[in-house]
Amino acid sequence: MTNWRLLRVLIFAILVSTTLAGCNVARLTINTPLTPQHVAFISEGHTTLTDVVNVLGAPDSIAEGETGTIVTYRFLNAKYSRVNFGWLVKPWSPVDPDLIMSRSGFGADAYELICDANWVIIHQAFVRHRPEPLFTPYPF
Amino acid sequence: MRVTGVLVAVLILTLNACAFSRGTLGEELKTESINSIKKGITTRAEVLAQLGAPDRILQLNGRDLFQYYRYDAKVGSLLLILVNFSRVSVKSDDLFVLINREGTVEEVIASKRTEGLEFRFWPFGD
Repeated sequence: MTNWRLLRVLIFAILVSTTLAGCNVARLTINTPLTPQHVAFISEGHTTLTDVVNVLGAPDSIAEGETGTIVTYRFLNAKYSRVNFGWLVKPWSPVDPDLIMSRSGFGADAYELICDANWVIIHQAFVRHRPEPLFTPYPF
Repeated sequence: MRVTGVLVAVLILTLNACAFSRGTLGEELKTESINSIKKGITTRAEVLAQLGAPDRILQLNGRDLFQYYRYDAKVGSLLLILVNFSRVSVKSDDLFVLINREGTVEEVIASKRTEGLEFRFWPFGD
């Protein structure tokens, strides 16, 4: 490797290091987050709860409602990212400085189905329609 | 050779630590226990003898719905000097047993999601 190439690798490494300084990226998922594509096979008035369970697994809760049995699938897709820009001046500072930006996004949602007395799905919908959270530490 | 040396040095400097941890809630739902429950045959007493008391009891049009669950959480962390990645995955095994007014099993709904649960540290993607 020539000196020029080695210098370029070093510059790239320093750039990456300073950009990623003190970064934390974390994610929490509870159950498999469902999308409209996952539940596209469900047809109101035709699909039974057994068909749904065969594809999506058992629900998280079953409750009695006025119009039928309410079946709920709950899931969470939470994302957290944090950057501490204080790391950039740590080598030259006598104190331990922090300049932290962080942001969390809780993609909590639920998918609800209503079944009739014969366990046929008569209604189905997502409770919330929030966009999927992103890994963006910028909080403003 | 120099490139390999630089790569090894970078790895040694950045690979700080890894962490794996796990948490469970509830008793394991054994597949053979679930399979032993037969619709129209198994009684309420047999379900209780086989699986124990349920975690929740709900009422559905005068019928009892027994709910059994177990949660499994796996946490993987890759702790580098400059950047940390971690991921927590939680899944549940659920069993619902609907018992009719005569005291026999009317419906069994079960699935074991935790069987495919893996330790992951990479937070991006699915």
